Amino acid sequence: MSATQTRRQPIQRLTIVAPATQAAAAQPHEGALVLVGINHTTAPIEVRERLAIPAARLPDAVRALTQQPGIREALILSTCNRVEFLTLQDQPGEETTRSLLRFLHEYFAVPAAIVEPHLYEFREREAVRHLFRVASSLDSMVVGEPQILGQVKEAYSVARQAGTVSAALDPLLQRAFSVAKRVRTETQIGSSSVSVASVAVDLARKIFGSLHGKTVLIVGAGKMSELAARHLIQQGATSILVANRTQERAAQLAGQVADLISMQLANGPIAIHGAGLACTTEVVPFDQLHAQAARADIVLTSTGSEHPLFDPTHGRQFLERRRNRPMFFIDIAVPRDVDPQMNQVEGCFVYDIDDLQQVAAAHLADRGRESAAAEKIVGSEVDLYLQRLQVREAVPAIVALQQNAESLRQAEIARTAAKLAASAEPLTPAQQAAIDALTRSLTAKLLHPQLAALRKKSE
Amino acid sequence: MTLLWLRFAVLLYGIAALAVLPAALYERPRWRHIAVPATIAAIFFHFVSLAETLNAAHHRLPVETHELQSFLALLLALAFLTVYARYRSVSLGIFVLPIVFLLATLAAFRPGEETFSTPIRNGWIFLHIVLLLAAYAALVVSLMASLLYLIQERRLKRKPSNRRWLATLDTPLETIDQIALKSLLFGLPCMTAGLLIGSVIAQADYGAKYFSDPKILLTFGLWIAYVAMIFIRRLSGLRGRRAVYLSSFVILVVLFVWAANQFSAVHRFSTP
Repeated sequence: MSATQTRRQPIQRLTIVAPATQAAAAQPHEGALVLVGINHTTAPIEVRERLAIPAARLPDAVRALTQQPGIREALILSTCNRVEFLTLQDQPGEETTRSLLRFLHEYFAVPAAIVEPHLYEFREREAVRHLFRVASSLDSMVVGEPQILGQVKEAYSVARQAGTVSAALDPLLQRAFSVAKRVRTETQIGSSSVSVASVAVDLARKIFGSLHGKTVLIVGAGKMSELAARHLIQQGATSILVANRTQERAAQLAGQVADLISMQLANGPIAIHGAGLACTTEVVPFDQLHAQAARADIVLTSTGSEHPLFDPTHGRQFLERRRNRPMFFIDIAVPRDVDPQMNQVEGCFVYDIDDLQQVAAAHLADRGRESAAAEKIVGSEVDLYLQRLQVREAVPAIVALQQNAESLRQAEIARTAAKLAASAEPLTPAQQAAIDALTRSLTAKLLHPQLAALRKKSE
Repeated sequence: MTLLWLRFAVLLYGIAALAVLPAALYERPRWRHIAVPATIAAIFFHFVSLAETLNAAHHRLPVETHELQSFLALLLALAFLTVYARYRSVSLGIFVLPIVFLLATLAAFRPGEETFSTPIRNGWIFLHIVLLLAAYAALVVSLMASLLYLIQERRLKRKPSNRRWLATLDTPLETIDQIALKSLLFGLPCMTAGLLIGSVIAQADYGAKYFSDPKILLTFGLWIAYVAMIFIRRLSGLRGRRAVYLSSFVILVVLFVWAANQFSAVHRFSTP
């Protein structure tokens, strides 16, 4: 069963992925590289949440893992979609796998019967490949999402501080970061937005460029509009108008938005780039909606109104008052709050929830296509990594062989020189040089087949 | 040899004009790594060619038709690079680079004849020519930016039924609008200064009768149209289709002025 098949199909029991011969051939470390875990494809949320480790407990958990018998190095990656244990073990075998399971059982107090059916296990080459895929966001629920690389880096940082990664896992993880970077640079796997809110922000940026200093009007105080507003504020929109039929709810949302803006100003990019901008939130009375809407560059609507709130006549009036500066309507209400004909008005851009979802789906499909190219990069990087490791491991053997031969040669020359010195006819310097050259040449020729075999094996 | 450099520049402009299409229209940003270096190299060879041409012709300013075409192409290519440096956008190249390619090709393969027939005061005439060509280049850039605005607007308004619907240009709508307006604002002082210098020279050499020539009058009409266009754009925030119409009208006046130059009895000089 291939690694990919293992990942896609629900696993009924712990599966050893790499065949024994392949694992032995590709074993890159002294010890065995084993990755065990669960993710969104193999385990339901009920199981994942039982294994999830809060960030504060991660150093303790990873130290506890390395204290298990047979485990030399370890890293734990715990996100909302996966919990994975990357370990370097003394020797491969069922015993060390059992010690990992024992750790899960003891540390999480979860019966093995609950976890085991959802676990996957990768060894050696397949473990390297899986790690590269995870870091490159090829194994994520939303392929190409950027957070996972940061999460792997965070896990690495924790493990490093805890002293649980060293000679074997350290270079492997560094390589995984490089591979992820290469995948993002050479493919367009993460170039487009795949959530409704981020698509809306992307579209706004295609119209206005930077959103710094732009005014957003939120009409209706639903959860979705709050989420989209959050994205817009994160991109720099700092003047927010809120209109809702219920004035109290509008004031409440305006308060939440004001808090968010304050946080952005304190920590975010606005503090750097938008110094001097007026950052305000304002409640607009609902009966003033049409009078005030022209102030907004972006109108975000999500009311429960049965009839459109904005029609093309409104659009033309807004544009006239705005001296033709464009307006972007993000209509996430069902039924729609903005008449679709508004999109025909020059300078008005209207996207409803279906449009946004279709864009997100199209981007997701694009990412799927890009992931084929990314898989090729990961495949070649796995080969390259293992090859380099094997070359590196062959070097000490080659050096040892050469040193041994040289010391034998020196000893033999010294013995012969001592014998000749005792006789009446010691060697002249020219004869000594000739003997030295002869023995060097003989040693090199005798060693050549062994050295060639070692080098070939490591390639 | 000078034509060889120019033909090499033409080849590079052609490559840049093709490479800019996937970069700007199909969201393939890596193509800009071909388009931009090709344009820079082309500008270098173009400059060398123009300098050698003027040197060989023993004058320091472009006065022959092919020299003017070549110089205008060089200014447009520089405008494209300036916009790229300022906004990191290659979209303008969709239109500007083919025009540069065409103008440079005309200069490289169809050397024109003398346009000027009176002795030239090198310094002031040079300024007159350069400033007017810069104003024309700014006008062309503004028109092209207005066309880009239309394309971007259409693409943003298109619904996502088509898979490639979102292959929008790499430049936001408002940035395109800024490019259009700023290039106009750059062109106006160039055109004003260019016309003033030309008028002073004409007044000194020919007197008031020079200004009764229809071609000269048309040139001043062009200046009024230019000012009116900027005024309307600023006052009403004109964008999109109507901005294209307005810019096209002024470009048409420019072409009339250019064509009138071929038939006018005045404004013809010879090189020393």
